[in-house]
Amino acid sequence: MISAIYTFAMTTGANRVIRGARIEHVCGDPSLGPEKDYAYGMRIVRKALETLTVAVSGPTLFDPQAGDIQEPSHAS
Amino acid sequence: MTTPIRIAHYLNQFFAGIGGEERADVGVSVREGPVGPGRALQAALGDPARVVGTVICGDNLINESPEAALAAIVAHLRELAPDVVVAGPAFGSGRYGLACGMVCRASREAELPAVTAMHPENPGALAHRREAVIVPAGESSTSMQPALVGVARLALKLGRGEPLGPAEIEGYISQGVRLVWDRGRPGYQRALDMLLAKLHGRPFVSEVPCRAPERVTPALPIADLSRARIAMVTTGGLVRKGNPDKQVAANATRYHRHSVKDLEALTPEGWEAYHAGYFNHIVNRNPNYILPLSFLRDLEGKGQIGRVHESMYALPGVSTPVAMARQLGRAIAEDLKAGGVEGVLLVAT
Repeated sequence: MISAIYTFAMTTGANRVIRGARIEHVCGDPSLGPEKDYAYGMRIVRKALETLTVAVSGPTLFDPQAGDIQEPSHAS
Repeated sequence: MTTPIRIAHYLNQFFAGIGGEERADVGVSVREGPVGPGRALQAALGDPARVVGTVICGDNLINESPEAALAAIVAHLRELAPDVVVAGPAFGSGRYGLACGMVCRASREAELPAVTAMHPENPGALAHRREAVIVPAGESSTSMQPALVGVARLALKLGRGEPLGPAEIEGYISQGVRLVWDRGRPGYQRALDMLLAKLHGRPFVSEVPCRAPERVTPALPIADLSRARIAMVTTGGLVRKGNPDKQVAANATRYHRHSVKDLEALTPEGWEAYHAGYFNHIVNRNPNYILPLSFLRDLEGKGQIGRVHESMYALPGVSTPVAMARQLGRAIAEDLKAGGVEGVLLVAT
């Protein structure tokens, strides 16, 4: 699940949560200009696809803005 | 001595002794006085109240033709002139639970206070807890006695015209409303007591209960993305331009499936958002923000994913009750599985 409200997404039962940009533009950011906007969106989508290839044991947050996959952060 | 409180009791065909599944289509009837568990209800109520009559309906009939059945049930209830209606207990029985919930709702609409009992996970409790007073009961009729004691206590209270206090104190399932209630001590003292209890490892009960997050068994990882079929789902309320499919903007009761087979990207000329829960204008300029087709086509062209699934799924994920969301989610997941999809990107606004 790609969501800007990722803390909420973690409580819905979604196990692979990818941090989106903002609620109004989840996969990208128009304020960056066309090229960077697309690159940012692509980074989010690539990260989301990457999470599908990774085993998780419960709700885990993946942040496309961080480099590698973070330590699993579990919903309480 | 004052006149006893008049109780009308609702039962299904099974508890009324008419029959089991084979008689679940039996019509509405009424009998004088208590029937079956009504006798134990009478014992639990004691002298202050009297079960004056019992209205009976088959579980299939009321669930299949609720309007006609409820009209007949309410007419019989009115004839009994009760102070309170008691339905069930329904325990874990789904159709009976739904029936008891509906009877309570219809009674309330007829200005008759009503109370029922069932297992908290009964679909009847999930569907009607906001509009019915439901005492939590066990899964089977072995827990009849405690259920009737709880029901009788609330029935007497309702019969006397006393207002019910909060769910946790009165012993019914929370209706999701907030009541103004004097807890006797100010909030800061109660909060400090809880903090001290927590620090000392003593048990305490929060005044703000949180529903525990749902647990879902994680799907296994995809072995090879370059061969996988990937689909897209969005709760961002994506519609074809002008909303010809008449999607609602909130409180969805269905999802919409659209073909993206011949599309390279979503254009503002062809698509827009119709969603009451966020500012739609940015998505209307670039719908790929909530359904990342342009990105996936790019990756598909480079051979990094196998292929983009022909169908995408959309609905507005705002003001939708969890039970409905779960139902829609299951239906989408089944459709995706049937289509041979191995991975899904769900964009949630």
